[in-house]
Amino acid sequence: MAARWSSENVVVEFRDSQATAMSVDCLGRHAVLSGRRFLYIVNLDTPSEAPRKIGRQSKWDVGTVQWNPHESGAYFFAASSNQRVDLYKWRDGAGEIHTSLQGHTRVISDLDWSWFDPELLVTSSVDTYIYIWDTRDTRKPTVALSAVAGASQVKWNKRNQYLLASSHDGDVRIWDKRKPSTAVEYVAAHLSKIHGLDWHPDNEFILATSSQDNSVRFWDYRQPRKYLNILSCQVPVWKARYTPFSSGLVTVMVPQLRRENSLLLWSALDLNAPVHAFVGHDDVVLEFQWRRQKEGSKDYQLVTWSRDQTLRIWRVDPQLQRLCVNDIAEGVEELMEGMTLLPESDKALHPQDSEPQHTSGHTTEDEEGEEVASSVTPASAGKQDQLGLPQTLQQEFSLVNLQIRNVNVEMDAVNRSCCVSAHCGSHQVRVVVKFPAQYPNNAAPSFQFVSPTTIPSSMKTRIQKILTDTSLQKVKRNQNCLEPCVRQLVSCLESCVTQEESSSGNHYVLSNSVNPTLPTFPRVTNTYGSYQDANIPFPRTSGARFCGAGCLVYFTRPITMHSSVSPTEPTPRSLSALSAYHSGVVTPMKMRSETQSALRLYSGSPTRSEKEQVSISSFYYKERKSRRWKGKREGTDTTNRQIKLAGKVIIQEISCLLPVHKTLGEMYILNVNDIQETCQRNAAAALVVGRRDLAKVWALAAAATGCELSPNADPDAGTPWARHPFGRHLLETLEYWGSPLLVKMCSSPRLAHYSKMHDIQTLAMLCSVFEAQCSPQDYYTLFGHLPYRSSIFTPHHSRFPSYTSSGSCSSTSDSGINIVGRDSEHTAPWGESSPDDFRYGNQGYTDPRERERDQHDKNKRLLDPANVLQFDDFKKCYGEILYRWGLREKRAEVLKFTSCPPEPHKGIEFGVYCCHCRSEVRGTQCAVCKRLTFQCAICHVAVRGSSNFCLSCGHGGHTSHMMEWFRTQEVCPTGCGCHCLLQSTF
Amino acid sequence: MVSVINTVDTSHDDMIHDAQMDYYGTQLATCSSDRSVKIFDVKNGGQILVADLRGHEGPVWQVAWAHPMYGNILASCSYDKKVIIWKEENGTWDKMYEYTGHESSVNSVCWGPYDFGLILACGSSDGAISLLTYSGDGQWDVKKISNAHTIGCNAVSWAPAVVPGSLIDQPLGQKPNLIKRFVSGGCDNLVKLWNSREEDGQWKEDQKLEAHSDWVRDVGWAPSIGLPTSTIASCSQDGRVFIWTCDDPSGNAWTAKLLHKFNDVVWHVSWSITGNILAVSGGDNKVTLWKESVDGQWACISDVNKGQGAVSAITEGQQNEQ
Repeated sequence: MAARWSSENVVVEFRDSQATAMSVDCLGRHAVLSGRRFLYIVNLDTPSEAPRKIGRQSKWDVGTVQWNPHESGAYFFAASSNQRVDLYKWRDGAGEIHTSLQGHTRVISDLDWSWFDPELLVTSSVDTYIYIWDTRDTRKPTVALSAVAGASQVKWNKRNQYLLASSHDGDVRIWDKRKPSTAVEYVAAHLSKIHGLDWHPDNEFILATSSQDNSVRFWDYRQPRKYLNILSCQVPVWKARYTPFSSGLVTVMVPQLRRENSLLLWSALDLNAPVHAFVGHDDVVLEFQWRRQKEGSKDYQLVTWSRDQTLRIWRVDPQLQRLCVNDIAEGVEELMEGMTLLPESDKALHPQDSEPQHTSGHTTEDEEGEEVASSVTPASAGKQDQLGLPQTLQQEFSLVNLQIRNVNVEMDAVNRSCCVSAHCGSHQVRVVVKFPAQYPNNAAPSFQFVSPTTIPSSMKTRIQKILTDTSLQKVKRNQNCLEPCVRQLVSCLESCVTQEESSSGNHYVLSNSVNPTLPTFPRVTNTYGSYQDANIPFPRTSGARFCGAGCLVYFTRPITMHSSVSPTEPTPRSLSALSAYHSGVVTPMKMRSETQSALRLYSGSPTRSEKEQVSISSFYYKERKSRRWKGKREGTDTTNRQIKLAGKVIIQEISCLLPVHKTLGEMYILNVNDIQETCQRNAAAALVVGRRDLAKVWALAAAATGCELSPNADPDAGTPWARHPFGRHLLETLEYWGSPLLVKMCSSPRLAHYSKMHDIQTLAMLCSVFEAQCSPQDYYTLFGHLPYRSSIFTPHHSRFPSYTSSGSCSSTSDSGINIVGRDSEHTAPWGESSPDDFRYGNQGYTDPRERERDQHDKNKRLLDPANVLQFDDFKKCYGEILYRWGLREKRAEVLKFTSCPPEPHKGIEFGVYCCHCRSEVRGTQCAVCKRLTFQCAICHVAVRGSSNFCLSCGHGGHTSHMMEWFRTQEVCPTGCGCHCLLQSTF
Repeated sequence: MVSVINTVDTSHDDMIHDAQMDYYGTQLATCSSDRSVKIFDVKNGGQILVADLRGHEGPVWQVAWAHPMYGNILASCSYDKKVIIWKEENGTWDKMYEYTGHESSVNSVCWGPYDFGLILACGSSDGAISLLTYSGDGQWDVKKISNAHTIGCNAVSWAPAVVPGSLIDQPLGQKPNLIKRFVSGGCDNLVKLWNSREEDGQWKEDQKLEAHSDWVRDVGWAPSIGLPTSTIASCSQDGRVFIWTCDDPSGNAWTAKLLHKFNDVVWHVSWSITGNILAVSGGDNKVTLWKESVDGQWACISDVNKGQGAVSAITEGQQNEQ
């Protein structure tokens, strides 16, 4: 059933023609394209030759053009232009207006030559009249049919010479030209305007209408109340016409929504899915007509004209023609076989679980095409045929992917029900699902628990509700719901059981270990992009990722690759969108370029190897316009053209967008012995990279750390931070950097207006510098003679509180109070101590030093570790960035200041192996051979305590002995010749 | 200035699905529908094909580099339901481990923070998330979260290893007690957070974040710079990108902020190393960079169009700050 790529087409472009209508003559020799300035006569045997032209002077476009369908009048064609019809005569390569028909008072909407009388022509117009003309008497119409409403289409019956059909908005009227006064029959066919009307070629009573209401309907006008059949599409249908062979139908969708694949071939007997899509036109297909079969040829040719200004000729070979007849009968038969086989022969015998697999396996093997072609294609969504409904359920059954652990589903399509058995732990559930006739069109199936269900009723109610919800959610969108329901059932059941047995704990082992004896059936190999991939997301074809320390890596689709759906269409959600490429509705590019001849030969399902060629790139391929012949047999150069499917990967340097600088990372120093110098050098570094703001920060940091020297001389200066002019300044500046973290830590919405700069580099460096400055031993080296002053510079004070106080001081006073208030509530120690201290200390206390000492003691006990951890995080994160930059020494410098240094390296562990039997030992004696494991090379006694040995030769012994030995010697005491001192560090 | 420093022609036979550089930015790994994973040395603007890794039997969706302290290790996941972990030893890349525990396409792989050892999270269309932990000697310990997302899991991303809520008191000088956390997104339109306490090593659903109206295509947990806020970006088939933040130390109160609604699916989000820029890409074949402004609004600072131009970044923001 799946169509193959059969119609290598002829593509000819007439760029300037601006033709709005096209017609093919009855001999299949010529096509006329009617533009505003010229009519172009294209020789269809040599379409690439320059067309002949007939000039015309009119400010109106040609509405409709049609060749006379009779051989005797084959040189005539009629073209409507506003209110007039011009009859052209084409002979011997030249054409002229033969005569004109004038009578309509408004624009002519359609015209049609009679199939029985070469002289008769019918025209319809917005002026509400339908005129039948005899070309031998052109002065006035021979028959005038008054319709009261303007007509959009008029068509002669192909079997009855008297009958005509016309369309008026959504209605169709059937006329007998012998009774012009009134229509024979009225058909209220559609709710919206009818765009296309076509009589059945063989049955005089049947016609097809295509409409704005997104459907094609088939009518027997004798039963005007009920259509015979309907083809529902997702977009308005512009034209739907029967094919000259078998019972095919070609439709053109209204194109602004569907740029591609709008030209579809259907079997009128099975409207679930098109049998073929003619892919190629980039724009609206304005007209399509069948060329007369060549003598001796079984092929038909479809000639199409599109607004993309190309004329294409598509070959429809006998196999494709046959698809329009045979499919449904065969397909259903086989499907039925597959279905009926199961409940009878397999059910009893097979272990559970294997059945659904078997079903799908069976169909996968035998009827791949059947399955896939019925999928919803991106191009069309022919669906919900009334007759097709039972098949929908059958199809769902055959396609459903129930590879779920512990679940067995027995499906009975005939009775529209299925039985789901699931077990989890000790529980068993059996649910009968019954599908109503309308399912899945907004009709949800029912769920009923049957024995031997063992779960408690509360759980039943819960599961029932979940199942109902899930199914409703799906059928509301007219989607199948069996699979989601079953999955829900299982997950629900598992979670229930887990809850129940949660005391026992290990839920994962539980769910994995349930019935491990279940046969694990071989999984049916999924076909890439097929129906079964409905839950796999559509692949990414572009992406960008920040990598390394300052790079953006991105890739996009190559510019030559376009989405095969229109740009307004969103990218599909799931990989199963590619299923269209399996069914051949859209032919993947690789198929086009590779084994075309081979593909054409398949009449059944595509083979596996073909399917493997379906790739995501198929979706994005867009055929280029080409003037060239893609000839039937010879056009190899174009078809073999290689297209790059993989775009380039671009790496971009974006470090300027980041708040951290690699150069600064390199240049920043952290000299714990000279904070002043550190700050100054860092300030200089910031200047070098042009960060004046940072230079300022460092300058102030230097001032702040340096200013501590001055109070040394002044024994009264107990509150240098608060009083010193630099102190305040510094704090204000630091607040700039510190605020983001304050925002977070204090969760004060009032401070939220400070920018989140994410400048981890500055944060970490400042933290480290202040930590260095405050660590007591450094302090001693700096201010050795004033040890007590260190109390001011507890890590606590200088790191966090200084930021806090500054933040609150420099912003509005109420926010400061706010912070203090909050803090004293939550984290009393520092809230109470430092900010108050710093701000009010010099006013309220006579001996600030004393108080600070007290405070310090308190702080020592009550240090808020959260802040320290936070600073550690800054340093750790910055260390990580330094590591990425490859600045490992710098990283080590920074990480030295974390309160909780990184864990010592654990990578190497010395295992002790017995030197005699090579078994691993603990202690001094080998458990296996009972000999001493490690003997001192000097004293030959087993070593118990401190030992050293050479990493190279493995000899060693008591530390004291080794020390002594190597004080004078360089080689190993055992005499092995190893230069232990050089080889390893003792 | 922002500048293109390298353009790598991967010569893949089919479309590329992921490209990622290693920790130091010296090697580039790409994967494609042609079933291969390629590794290029891209030092100094060059491109030397280091390895062409074959082993997957279907399109390869994503790759992930492990932290270099464990060696040169790359994980890849594919439509063929497999996860393969590749390792370079003495200049040759080889399969280190092949995980076949999923029943459908594996869509996403992500290595956990190095603090937790070699641990890989894998999200699959079978709805499950697997966690593979290297236990030494070539052994991998597998934990599986079944039915993590109904229908399927599309993306996983680890939380940075930080102390949960730095405001919680913790004894000074001790090794902080880290909690393993990651985020996942799936076909149930949900973003879910998972955590594992050290005690039992079991994974539990921690949070369920609901805002998207269609499949969640990617999630990204922003790197931490030591602030107690956790940030997650999520993007979806519905074209929306949400930024989720949580200031709450207990990690329960997440708020969503719409970054932007795009016209087509958004299928990838990526955070910069300092967590202040987000790169967004989707079905429209465009890459955009987003930055949070002072007042908390997200603004697009650049547009990488059609793979043509460079990131024409607006650096005003940077200028202003200086």
